[in-house]
Order: sequence, then C-alpha cells, then structure tokens
Amino acid sequence: MIAPTIAALEYPRSAPFKTGGSDHAEILRSWLYAAALPAMAGVVLFGRTALIVIGASIGAALITDFLMDRLTRRRQRSDTLHVALLALLLALTFPAQAPWYIPAFAAFIMVTVKAAFGGISHCLWHPALIGRVVVQFLFTQQLALTFAGAPVSGPVLAPQHLVSGQLELARRFAATEYLGWREAGLEEQQAHAFETVRPQQVLRLFADGHISKDTSLWKNDPPLRITPLLRDYLPPWGDTILGAVPGAIGETTSLALVVAGLYLIYRGHLRWQLPVAVILGAAVAAAIMPISIGANGSYRWVPALVFEEGRAVGLAYVLFHLTAGQLLICAFLLGGEMLLSPLRARGQFLFGAGIGVLTIFLRLYGPLDGEGYWAVLAMNSIVPMIDQRLKRPVLGIDD
Amino acid sequence: MPLGLNLFSARLGFDGGLFLADYKAVTARRPVDSIPTPNRLNIPLRHRADLSTHPLAAVGQRLLGGELIAAPGDANGVGVPAPTSGTVTALSRVWSAQDGYLPSAIFEPDGRDERVPAQLSWEDDSILAMLARGAAMCCNPRLPAHVVLRKAVSAAVNTLIVNGMETEPYLTADLRALVEMPGRMVDAACEIADAVGVTRVIIALPDRHRRVFKRIAGESVARFVEVVALPDKYPQCHPIILAKTLLDLDTPPGGSTLDIGALVLTPGALRPIADAVFDDRPMTHVVISVAGDAVVSPGTYRVPIGMDFDSIGRHVGLNTDAPTIVSGGPFTGVHVPRGDSVVTSTTTAVLFFAHQPHGDPMACVHCGWCVEDCPVGVSPVELSQLELQATCSPDAVPQLRACIDCGLCTFVCPARLPLAATIKRCRGRFADYPEGGA
Repeated sequence: MIAPTIAALEYPRSAPFKTGGSDHAEILRSWLYAAALPAMAGVVLFGRTALIVIGASIGAALITDFLMDRLTRRRQRSDTLHVALLALLLALTFPAQAPWYIPAFAAFIMVTVKAAFGGISHCLWHPALIGRVVVQFLFTQQLALTFAGAPVSGPVLAPQHLVSGQLELARRFAATEYLGWREAGLEEQQAHAFETVRPQQVLRLFADGHISKDTSLWKNDPPLRITPLLRDYLPPWGDTILGAVPGAIGETTSLALVVAGLYLIYRGHLRWQLPVAVILGAAVAAAIMPISIGANGSYRWVPALVFEEGRAVGLAYVLFHLTAGQLLICAFLLGGEMLLSPLRARGQFLFGAGIGVLTIFLRLYGPLDGEGYWAVLAMNSIVPMIDQRLKRPVLGIDD
Repeated sequence: MPLGLNLFSARLGFDGGLFLADYKAVTARRPVDSIPTPNRLNIPLRHRADLSTHPLAAVGQRLLGGELIAAPGDANGVGVPAPTSGTVTALSRVWSAQDGYLPSAIFEPDGRDERVPAQLSWEDDSILAMLARGAAMCCNPRLPAHVVLRKAVSAAVNTLIVNGMETEPYLTADLRALVEMPGRMVDAACEIADAVGVTRVIIALPDRHRRVFKRIAGESVARFVEVVALPDKYPQCHPIILAKTLLDLDTPPGGSTLDIGALVLTPGALRPIADAVFDDRPMTHVVISVAGDAVVSPGTYRVPIGMDFDSIGRHVGLNTDAPTIVSGGPFTGVHVPRGDSVVTSTTTAVLFFAHQPHGDPMACVHCGWCVEDCPVGVSPVELSQLELQATCSPDAVPQLRACIDCGLCTFVCPARLPLAATIKRCRGRFADYPEGGA
C-alpha cells in the first residue's frame, strides 16, 4: 500500500484508536499519595526529625538523579516521579532519629543502582531496599540495626507531645516496665517520648527462648508459656495498630499502611492478591514455626494452638506478628511495586506468600535486621522464574 | 428466565477481556436513517483487490439501479451493481481503507431512482446463485457470501453462529438490525442453515438487551434455533472467542472457525443475504455506524456504496476541522488518512475522532495488565519484544498466529506501548513465512 499523503506519514495511527486506563504517571501519583499517608503518620508519631529524614532522602535522590541524567545523557518520561516515590519509600524504612546523611547516602546508592541496572524497568531488586540494606552495613554504629537478636530500643512521642515533641527528651523504659503508650503517659508528664524495645525484637527474643524461661518444674518436657510475653514484654496490641511503638517512620503505623493499601487497590494500581497473600503467608508461618523453649535446646511447633488458662494466647501471638515490624509496609507498599512483582495475579499470590513466610522466618531465626526488606529482596530475585512458570494457556495451543 | 435463577446459574464467558465504556447510549436508540444519495459517487469496481471484475458500462451510459457496472471476473467474484439510476461519467481510481487504490467508476445519479424489477422465482435458482447475483459481500471474512457458504460446505460445518454480540464501542449496526428486523434475521439464519446443511443454529446476543433477546427468542420458537445471552465483555464479538465460549472448541492458531466446524456470521452479513434471497435486491447500500467523539449527530445510517467519507462527515456534522477518520471499529478498524476514501461493500462503520493527544511510549512498567486482559492468553509484551530480534524461536510463531488483533493490550498499556501493532508487524515478519524466519 502506498502512503498517499504527507499527513499519513505524519500520523501513522493503528488500531486501537482509543486508549484507556491509567498511564504510568497517574499510577506513580497514586502511589505517592499512598506512601505519603504513612509518612504523615510517621511525622505525627516521631516528630520533626522524621521530616528531616524524608527530606534528606528525597532531596538526595532527586539531586543524584539529575546529575545521573546529565552524566549519562538519558532522558526518560516520568522518571523523576518514580525516583521521588522510591526515595519516599526509602525514607519510610529509617527510624526518625537516624542522622540525615544516612538516608541521603542510601538515596544516592538507590539512584545509582537503578541507573546501573539500566533504568526504570530493568531493575531486578527493589532499589530503595538495596539502598536500605547497604547503609545497614555501612553505618553499623549510628543505626545499631545491622544484626538481629540484640534488643534495640527506640523512642516514640508521648500522646501529649505528638508532632512537636523532641525525641531526645525520652524516658527510657525496660520492656517489662512499659505498660503501654497511653498508660505510660499518665505517670510521665515531663518526658516528650518513651523509649522502649521494638516489638519485632521482643518477638525475636521470645523465639530464642529468652522470655518463657521459667521451666524449673519441668525437667525434660516443659510447655511453651506465651502469657509472660503478652503480659509483660509486648506493648498492647492497639499500640501496634496505631503505630505508637518504636521502629522506622513508615513501618510502625499499621492503620495508615492498610488505608494506603486499600486506596491503591481501589485505584486498581495494586492487586489485592499480593497483600492478602503476604498476610496469609505470615499468619500461617507464625502459627506453625517453632519456638525455642530454652531448655535442652528443644523447640515447640505450632505455637498458635497454645491455650493458657482458657485464653487463646497462641492466636494473640500470631496477631502481634502481623502488626509488628516490616510486614505490612512490605505487603502494601514495598512488595507491590509493579516493576518488581510478577505479571499475573496468581504469580503475585505466590510472590506475596513467599514474602510473608520469609519475613516471619527471618524475624524468628534470621541473622540480620530488616527481615521484611530481606524477604522482599529475596522474592524479587525469583520474579522472572515465577513469570516463566505461570504463563497463561494460549487458546488453540495449550490445554 | 427469572432474574433470581439467572443470578445463580453459571455465566458463560472467557478468560481475559474487558468491559468497556461502549459510547452507544445515543446511537443504540436511533433507528437506521438513510443518508440521501449525493450528486456524485465514486464506486470501486472491485470488492477486494484480488477479486477481479470486467467493466461492463461504457462512459456516458445510463444504468438503472441494480444493473451491473462491472461483471465478476470468475466464479469466486461478484459484480458491482449500480446503486440507483444514473450515468457513468468517467472511469477513475479510488482509495479504499482496506486495499488502497482500486479502479472505480464515477457515477452521477439522476435522482429518478429507477430499478431493475426483481425476479422472485425460487424454482430455478440455488441460494448460492441468488447470492452471487445479489452481489452480497460478508465483512468478516471479507469474501462474497456465496463463497463463504461454499467454503462452509466444503469444511463440513455443523454449527451456524449468528454473532449479535457487537461488543466493540460505538458500533450499533448489528444491534439495529436485530431490533428492527428480528424475524428477517432469524429467517435468513434458517435459510443459510438449510443451504449449508448445519443442524445447530445459535444466535448470541448481549445479555443486557433483554427485550431484543425476548423478541429474537419469540421469533425462533419451534425453529431449532438456540438463543444465548452472553455478557458483553470485549472481545466476545470475535468469532474465535465466541466459538470458544459457546462450543468450547479451540480454533488452531491462525485458522478460522471453519476449522472447528462453525460458521460465524454477523447480522450485518445476514442483512444483504436476506435482501438477495428474499427480495432479489442487490447489495448497493451498506448499513454502517457513523459515530465518534467528533460527530454531532451519530447514528446508524444506510449509505450507498461509493459515497466518500467527507460527504458522510458533512451530513452528520463534525465539530472539528481535521478529524481522525477510522473505517471499522475503534479497536479493529483502519486509519483512513484521506477524506475522499469511499464506503465499500465491506465497510461496517465510519468513526470520526477529534485529535487526542496520546502520550509517548516509554519502557514497559511490568504491570501485567496486557497479560491479564488478553483474550487468547499470549503475553503481548513478550511477543512485542520480537520486534528487536532478527529471528524468532519456533515456539513464538504459533503465539503470533494465535493473537486475534483485538487491540486490548494497547488499550490498557500504561506505558502507551503500541503492542497490538507491533505484534501484527512481527506476525508479518515471522509467522507469514513457512519456516518462521525473516
């Protein structure tokens, strides 16, 4: 066929003549709105220092991206939005009292890694999490978050001093003294913040057998005791829902994360299968995975079935696993990144279940801090295999 | 069926696809309207580039409506009848959307609309001969109706499916045919079933048109015709997907539904067949949807073959100076770069779109929407990467052939990648050669 006019050469249109749905910039914008929600909750709960962390991360990422563009002379649409989103997600993984240069350096590493992979759609691992785990090793002294197992305490603002309080004016509680966010505030009017142990590290101590140790009566086969953990060591479950527990800026606020995830699912920019699979996988793993009893190196499997004095303390233990630590931020924001998750919904289910199980496994037995981040990175690396295995049957060829 | 039972019964359907905004709210309710014959028609003398004809009319000769301007070149062709009485003033060429330049005759109607009287003699004619005389063309496949039926007989089809789904946005011609002449559609389907010798006739309708369903079901009482209501998920209207849904038979890649023993015809194809068989009226006009966001009064119009798109645009009114003209549906049609292109016997719709800014393509963002919505289950993004390769693996060839060009992958792509067009081009490069190498 001969092209008849110049106009035809100018507009070589082909079917379909309509496009629908969101373009990538719109997807990135809704992800930014979703990530801004836990960020705002973090500013409320951890004060102005959280803003410094977020600003340092985003600023360093944008500057590095600009310089990288100049250096490599590439220009790609909506890359800036994507870098801003990644930098915001990166900032959510740091505790608010981290010095500003740590998130800035992590953002620099993040953008460099992204550019080294070849841009927006060629990354295998989540660039923000690569930045996070690299500085975890580089700044061991400042972060004290390199290895798991040691009880690291952190501050959270008191109810009377939200947003404006200073994290330095914290009163330190031992895990057994801390009654809860509201209850501690009744006695301590002076302190701006309460400093106590992060819940996922309490759970780790429990799994190592350091908490339910009173096994004097049973020489050979002591039962698993969960009540001391729930009653004495962990904060109230409501605190972990609101996020009023120590931890990183974005990872503690379960409520904000769930709302952000529901918004993304409503917009159609996150498939519901992924977060549901993460939570289901984590719940099943926490219900089954064995706990050390501390005597003779023996373990108890299926802690979810433990009942003490008629209370389903095993199920309460599983619920704490779901709201503590990095599980929900990985389920709703970090794991669901489109570029780094499988193509199909059932692949995403597999991927999410892997994240959930690995997160609980690393939390209970892993050597390194940041169990959810390691789980997402590990599952990212098998996404091409999942895509290869879970292809749809083609009409007329398969089945 | 009562609503309650309907809710709990199994839904017929297929994997993938998408429920689209269909833009039919206005046009679906408007009856078929006639666009008056213009002063000058540019009638293509071939129905397809490879269907040869011999011109019969001399320049300056006056013809009655229905007299042949050109006679078929062989047994597989059909002639070109004059749409109304008038004079052939010149022989020329014309741009058609599907075939590029075709030889044409400039025809000037004299306004008296005198016609050749119909011969309604059933005794000495087979249906195939009547269809050939009536110059009936089917739009999908683009073949003369008697050739389609002959192919169906030689393929030993056992099922006739009347495809009333029409799930593509903007298109309403098939729906209007079913609304305005339900009895005639069922009659024509039964005649074709008799001619081809099939034992099972299925009429598929969108399930939201309940009154159309009732009327068609009423017309097909005691006639061994099954009427099936399906959700109007795009591309349910595609013959291969429809056969998969109704018969649960997979068409081999690159084949047609004749390979699995099903003949699929749209009401738009039944209409000229009914005209030729029942009324001995040759196919001189087509019923097309004229719509699009640049059209002031969209609707379903009966237009003479040979009318140019600019005249149609003037008649329906356009709110833009330079519209994008599309011949066919918005997902499967062809961009027509010039307004003097004309309506041919296989045109189903003419769409006028205002200029819409479409973003530049960027790298794939791995959203998986194209994989999820693909009705045949191929991975469009993977196939479109063959564009960068010099050879392709033998596994990819049947996948390229399995694609039905529905265009959904491009429609949903957030990176605005031209996936459907790329797959089509890759199929031309790799799959249209026997060994698969380019």
